[in-house]
Amino acid sequence: MLSDKSKEEIKRVLNKYPNKRSAAMDALRIAQNETGCLSGDVMQEVAGILGMPAPQVNEVAAFYTMYNKKPVGKYHIQVCTNVSCSLLGAEHIVEFLSRKLGIKKGETTPDKKVTLSVVECLGSCGTAPMMQINDDYYEDLTDEKIEEILSKLP
Amino acid sequence: MADEEDEVETVFIMATVKINGKEITVEDGTLILDAARQAGFEIPTFCYQARLSGLGSCRMCLVEIAGQKKLQPSCVTPVLHGMDVFTENETVKSARASMLEFLLANHPLDCPTCDKGGECELQNFVFKSGPRQSGFSEWKRRFHDKDKILSPVIVKNHNRCIHCERCVRICDEVVGAKALGGIGRGVMIQSTGFMDDRLDCDHCGNCIEVCPVGSFMSLPYRYKARPWDLKEVDTVCPYCATGCQITIGIRNGEVVRVKSRINTGINKETLCARGRFGYHFIQSRDRITKPMVKKDGKLAECSWDEALSVIKQMFGSGRRTAGIASARYTNEELFVFQKLVREVFKTNNIDLDSRFANKWVTSAMIDACSLAAGGIPIFDALKADLIFIIGSAVSDENPVTDYLIRTAASDRRKTLIIAHPRRMKLDSSSAISLRYKPGTEGEVIKGIADFIENGGESTSDINAAAARFKNASNITMFLGAEILRLANGVDVLTGIAALKALLKRSGKNIKCLPLFDRCNQRGARAMGIHPLFLPGLKKVKEDGMDCGEMLDAAKKGEIDSLYVLGEDIVSMHPDARFAREALSNIKFKVVQDTFLTETAKIADVILPGASYAEKDGTFTNQEGRVQRLRKVISPVGDSKDDLDILCSIGGFAYKSAREVFEKIKKEVAGYKDISFEELDGNGAIVTGHGRQSLSLKGTVPLLSGSDNSGQQSIKEDKEYPFLLITGNHLFHSGRLSQRADILMQLLPEPFVEISEDDARESGIVDGEKVVVKGNGYEAAMKLRIAKGSQKGVAFVPENFDSVSVNMFYKKGEGIPRVKIVKLP
Ligand code: SF4
Ligand code: SF4
Ligand code: SF4
Ligand code: FES
Ligand code: FES
Repeated sequence: MLSDKSKEEIKRVLNKYPNKRSAAMDALRIAQNETGCLSGDVMQEVAGILGMPAPQVNEVAAFYTMYNKKPVGKYHIQVCTNVSCSLLGAEHIVEFLSRKLGIKKGETTPDKKVTLSVVECLGSCGTAPMMQINDDYYEDLTDEKIEEILSKLP
Repeated sequence: MADEEDEVETVFIMATVKINGKEITVEDGTLILDAARQAGFEIPTFCYQARLSGLGSCRMCLVEIAGQKKLQPSCVTPVLHGMDVFTENETVKSARASMLEFLLANHPLDCPTCDKGGECELQNFVFKSGPRQSGFSEWKRRFHDKDKILSPVIVKNHNRCIHCERCVRICDEVVGAKALGGIGRGVMIQSTGFMDDRLDCDHCGNCIEVCPVGSFMSLPYRYKARPWDLKEVDTVCPYCATGCQITIGIRNGEVVRVKSRINTGINKETLCARGRFGYHFIQSRDRITKPMVKKDGKLAECSWDEALSVIKQMFGSGRRTAGIASARYTNEELFVFQKLVREVFKTNNIDLDSRFANKWVTSAMIDACSLAAGGIPIFDALKADLIFIIGSAVSDENPVTDYLIRTAASDRRKTLIIAHPRRMKLDSSSAISLRYKPGTEGEVIKGIADFIENGGESTSDINAAAARFKNASNITMFLGAEILRLANGVDVLTGIAALKALLKRSGKNIKCLPLFDRCNQRGARAMGIHPLFLPGLKKVKEDGMDCGEMLDAAKKGEIDSLYVLGEDIVSMHPDARFAREALSNIKFKVVQDTFLTETAKIADVILPGASYAEKDGTFTNQEGRVQRLRKVISPVGDSKDDLDILCSIGGFAYKSAREVFEKIKKEVAGYKDISFEELDGNGAIVTGHGRQSLSLKGTVPLLSGSDNSGQQSIKEDKEYPFLLITGNHLFHSGRLSQRADILMQLLPEPFVEISEDDARESGIVDGEKVVVKGNGYEAAMKLRIAKGSQKGVAFVPENFDSVSVNMFYKKGEGIPRVKIVKLP
């Protein structure tokens, strides 16, 4: 169950949209901020608030990689593997991270600290290859840079 | 056609285009695809489906248009005057082959183990237009190794999906269940239920029907046959009066599936759960297969000769005998049944079960819907700009009619108004859903009429609805069978007739169609199953008794014998105790049926008849459309075709349903132009029987035994706060569907449904077990909450032997009162 605070927030953002279903993305974002990931129950609740069929909320959540369908670690690393990043070695970055963290893509470290994901273009092609950790971008990645970034994760 | 005036002719702008050099003139705005088909060229399609919104995603239908560089999807591109289109040239063919190659790049090609093999659109198109070799050597997408069981009727294989989204769109736009979604993105999309396996839906199986490949599959049919092993027969659904065309497939004498065909019937490719999955009763082990007679107080099997000879005692008994039939029998059977009752037993005491109605209400219904004036095709009716439904939970009672209305109402220029106490699926398509307390239908109608005549502030829902009536020029009203059950049903129908007249006076076109819950309810009346009417709705000289009157007379010892054709009076007649008591007063009772119903159990003779799959004949649906039933298998065991049984008792010489139909054509004017042999998937609409309105005004006696309880029941009653309505659930129909295994899996037991407000007030949560009490009867069941239903109303489906809802009724009572208490 979502907290009253999140429900209030969703009700507030509804005013920004011409109809309730247009608020689906915002509502899911608010829900995820509270719960960390969008379980079936959470999506069902959001669907209830928006008066939308649950499968359609599920469609929205499943389409965008920024919605987590499974619980993620404290740090969520999302590596872009779309064209520009790929051309500049994104696959290597994924592999390097994978080796460093000891997990495959889509997995979370046993201590629940880090999750490694692969995503589509994050709109930062000019500074490819790149990744996003939680809400921050890390650009022009090299192995050294990554080591440093990882070592600084508190 | 009915007496309604024709609508104004619409003038279309035309466009002339060339398709592969062939010139054709079509309505402007026609899709290239349809124009090409009209010109005789077949274009392959996957994502296109005529009644669904355009998607244009699969690119199978690409065509070349002279002067345009890129090929265009013909399923979403309309013609322009002067267009020069090519659908078969080399460019188009190679594009088609490439699209198929792309689809196959991720297709498992496991045809040998796929249920769809042999009738798969992908297989067929690849065979016809596909590449013979693939350039792809990459991995194939694979979601799972084992198919997923999503519901008691659906098994899903995501690996085979080609992303046409037909399933998602039919579920959303036509069925209105909105249970499916395209979950994921790109090639990894899975068209499936919420969270893949949390599918909560209507189990209609239409997603299975429209899926071009073996991705959505029927669980009951799984691995049962290959399409080429099947013998398939087109016939008509035996449940509600929508009258869907179905195709029954049998293998080695076993019925293995029911499907619908895209070009057949008003339902086209759609059915509801009952029609598609409710076939298991046909070959149920519980069928009665031997005649029985009562000997020393016990029913014992006997020979047909013996059973038939004892019935002779009914011959010539006149008013002391009676016949009651079910509206699930064919026109031919019912016609012969009334001949038997009238000519051989010599009585006009004949009626349908009339679960709730008396002969005056049923006559008023015949009048209100102008049933004697001929049929109205539903698609004509749905052209109206205002569609009004009252007295039917149509989403439950007539599911495919619900689909058709939903599709029509998606046109923004149309207004749909629904008047019913219960929330229903179709509400999401309505402009206004009027809630009211059952029994006050007359007030709703009067309110609408008052506002139209006298005006006022359109603040209430009723006035808002009336304002819509005022603005409309073509109005179609659907009148549900629930009105027949009201103690004040005649008043309601008289009110509707007055409203119709009022609207006609202000120059509007009005059409009125009944919504019936039994497949041949309309045909039965036309065949003379009515105490007041002979075949063709011709008035009898001496009125017979209706079902209620027969039971009254029986109670007084004035009926000696009764012939029941397929009806379960004990289970369905209101006031179960009275019905049982009255029947037990009748010395000799014959029941002809397929199952040992509660009524059959107290019979003196039981004659095992046939199911709809074992007979030829016709049904007339609620529109007045006559459709052919075709024999699929022989009657099981020692049971017999019902027509044969009736003919041999009455000594009638008819050898087939066709011969009876010839006779019907002579006696029932509306049927005279219909050719039994030529009835195809579209059936034929009956014409008028040439009878003027019954003009009941002034002649309607006080409703038998009702002492105006219509008014009474609306009074507050603190102890029994709920008004009870009963009816069919979406998965059930009468007591027949409980013999169909799959339908019993979908809903094995009754529940009581109340509004959210009532639930909150009584502190009961959804799914909790409660006891429903009333009229000295009580039954435990689960509670269901319906958000948006009328407060103070409870609904219990009437489909289960385990709860006799008719025990809640007192004789003559239209709407009983009950209370609902939590189980401690
Ligand atoms: S069975 Fe009917 S309601 Fe259920 S998902 Fe398929 S189309 Fe939708
Ligand atoms: S499951 Fe079938 S109908 Fe649905 S998108 Fe896939 S192929 Fe089309
Ligand atoms: S809507 Fe009625 S006729 Fe059609 S399949 Fe369902 S029960 Fe049968
Ligand atoms: S391709 Fe990686 S950010 Fe655009
Ligand atoms: S049928 Fe035209 S794009 Fe699919």
